[in-house]
Amino acid sequence: MRCAAIGLLALAAGCATVVAAPPAPELPSAAPAVTAAPAVTAAPAVIAPTAARPAPPAKAAREAAKPAPAPTLDVAALKERLRSTSACGVFTKLALKNQMDDLLQQFRAQHQSGGASGVSALRQPYDMLVLKVLAVVQDGDPSLARMISGSREAIWGILVDPVKFNALA
Amino acid sequence: MSIHARASALLFAMAMLVAAPAPAAEDPALLKDLTAVLMLLGMPCGEVVSAKRQADNDHIATCKDGSRYRVFVNAEGRAAAQKL
Repeated sequence: MRCAAIGLLALAAGCATVVAAPPAPELPSAAPAVTAAPAVTAAPAVIAPTAARPAPPAKAAREAAKPAPAPTLDVAALKERLRSTSACGVFTKLALKNQMDDLLQQFRAQHQSGGASGVSALRQPYDMLVLKVLAVVQDGDPSLARMISGSREAIWGILVDPVKFNALA
Repeated sequence: MSIHARASALLFAMAMLVAAPAPAAEDPALLKDLTAVLMLLGMPCGEVVSAKRQADNDHIATCKDGSRYRVFVNAEGRAAAQKL
């Protein structure tokens, strides 16, 4: 049970990153970059001498628009960071652990009932919990906050996959 | 040593005894912890400005707006808050 709670903690930590306000803005900016690329390459067709120059930015924009490789999630490291961080006190850590346990319990119930749509309904509570973790941690331990943000989607991927979820528990 | 000097020393010692608990109660880390846990538990507080220890993991927190909460670990091992 304790292990599950710790795992949840780590997951929640990842969720906190899920809240990841920073990633959200990045996505919209990345999408426009892709659409902007053709416009840049169209201009060079008119001005032949400078044709070579626009290409690199367009290529860079395309590369930037490519989905970044999924970050590997080091759950053990995340757990350890959450346990040892001095960004929050004992009461705060316990309250977060309680809320992570509650959320994991909801995931467990959804997986047992076999409803995939039910699991997706837990995205909002997950995001909320991640936001709470980030709010608590970001001032005192910015690197941990970044770590959580970076693993947000990876953690969600584990939570929604019954096989991965059961392996975690 | 005169009576006045002895009386002053005694008063000073008593004042130190009374004042001694104050720093522990105003531990910034504890106040921050209590502020965060009240926020996580959805209790309207804003900021905890003082705290009084009742027992291990059991504190009375006073918020900036004057509201008071008992913050403790309940029998189920959960962080809990009760408005006083």
